[in-house]
Amino acid sequence: MRVMTIPKDLVAASAIPIILAILRRADSYGYAIIQKVREVSEDRLTWSDGMLYPVLHRLEAAGFIVSYWKVAKTGRKRKYYHLNAAGATELERLKEQWFVVHNALERLTGSTEAGE
Amino acid sequence: MFELESQIRKWRAHLRSTGSVGAQDLEELESHLRDSVEELTAQGITTEEAFLVSLRRMGDAEALSHEFAKISTENLWRQLLVPAPDEGTRKRQRLEVALVLGLVLLAGLLGKIPALFGFGVVESYPLLYLKNAAIFALPSVAVYLIWRRSLPLPFVLSSAAVFAIFAVVINLYPSYAPHHTEGLMAIHLPIVLLLFLGVLYGGFGWRRSGVRLDFVRFAGEVFIYSVLIGLGGLVLISVSVTMFKFVQIDIGGLTDNWLAIFGGCGLLVVASFLVERKKALIESVAPVLARIFVPLFLAVLLSLIVAMAVTGRAPSQDRDMLIWFDIVLALVLGLVLYTMSARDAEQPAGVWDIVIIALLVVAMIANGIALAGIVIRLSAFGISANKTAALGENLFLLLNLLLLTICYVRFFAGRMRFQAIVDLQMRYLPAYALWATIVVVAFPPIFRFF
Repeated sequence: MRVMTIPKDLVAASAIPIILAILRRADSYGYAIIQKVREVSEDRLTWSDGMLYPVLHRLEAAGFIVSYWKVAKTGRKRKYYHLNAAGATELERLKEQWFVVHNALERLTGSTEAGE
Repeated sequence: MFELESQIRKWRAHLRSTGSVGAQDLEELESHLRDSVEELTAQGITTEEAFLVSLRRMGDAEALSHEFAKISTENLWRQLLVPAPDEGTRKRQRLEVALVLGLVLLAGLLGKIPALFGFGVVESYPLLYLKNAAIFALPSVAVYLIWRRSLPLPFVLSSAAVFAIFAVVINLYPSYAPHHTEGLMAIHLPIVLLLFLGVLYGGFGWRRSGVRLDFVRFAGEVFIYSVLIGLGGLVLISVSVTMFKFVQIDIGGLTDNWLAIFGGCGLLVVASFLVERKKALIESVAPVLARIFVPLFLAVLLSLIVAMAVTGRAPSQDRDMLIWFDIVLALVLGLVLYTMSARDAEQPAGVWDIVIIALLVVAMIANGIALAGIVIRLSAFGISANKTAALGENLFLLLNLLLLTICYVRFFAGRMRFQAIVDLQMRYLPAYALWATIVVVAFPPIFRFF
């Protein structure tokens, strides 16, 4: 089966709600976030790994997430991110926006398919 | 054999050289890269393949730094003031700022000591202020480094002794017109004390060549910061003098004898603080400066040689000539040292190393021509303090450049590791301290304080 690739613009637009949603489940660090995105999107949503970090920093600057360093059992230092209340509100807002788009598409395409 | 560590170091250096990825970001990205490599190797592919795949996934360094630049440029300076994450560090940072302010005050007060003895007006006693400048400004830097490194008592005592001894020596030695030995003290004392600060900078590790190289970088960055802040200070002073003139108040005496002294003496400790505290900011500027000026210097020296060859005019017997050539050699050495400190020792020889070799060779040729002309005349006119000091410096620098050239050529031929060049050069540094100490302490009596 041909893997459906998602255009760059759409990936970029969806990055923020997805990151926020991952962080709502638990605090996490960059590498794990990327792995999670790969897992839940079945490898269809792919970013170049490095690009995640500027986005994370921007979210932090906007006050949606906070970061802290933690030393892993292996001795490696990792920067963890935590979703705060403002971030959770932002996630709800973004989710609603995506639902609007999703519903609109669904209604249009759904009815066309039903009509044929 | 694939070496993961050196590859990661190179990648880090490359990202850092773009200037927009901060130290914390680098740490974060490196941690990511290592996670990725680890996981891939666990799946059974070789480390090299895993590294390449991880790099590919990480994305293009240029694009990455561009993204980082977007978010970081606006707040580079603000980062200086961003509070640290935990209370302990925050406390120490506040203490540090207070300490630095106190040390600026201390430096300024030291600078006002001559006023107690009736030498308050800088303009009237330029040489007095010049030769004591290092004694005014550097103790503060010493205290700061001692605090910063939490150095134990022996370091404190030896610093106190060094500063006290030199302060006494240079001020108790008599000086007779034309004050040549006094002028020499003014030039050489800062060299002695600067290199002594290197010991404090390194703490217990001051003998290690890596630490010494860090100090070279530190000194260069302090210099850049000082120039920037000093320029700002000059603008401030000239603007305020002019503005007060408009309301018919002359603050010239106030700015020259108070503001300039406190600012000038406190400048270095502030610059040291900034360099220690915010390394990443200048880190990317200094190597760039070195890269710009190495080829330019090479061009200037080449044209000088051509000019001497075409006109057939050997350098005149002017004794300033030798001093100027000393300055040129010292600058060349500085540029080479700086390039050295910005270079990854593991990197193989490249075009840039040829440029360095060319610069070294050309500098030595130009100096050789000048020296040949001067030595003959020197012997005819007899020795003086200035000529001997200048000649001594010239020989020390020339020997240094010669060693560097031989090393670079051997490195280029693959018979020497770059790290060995660094080690050798760093072992050579104390030679300058030795010579400068001789000029400060022994020259005045030898030349009867003239």
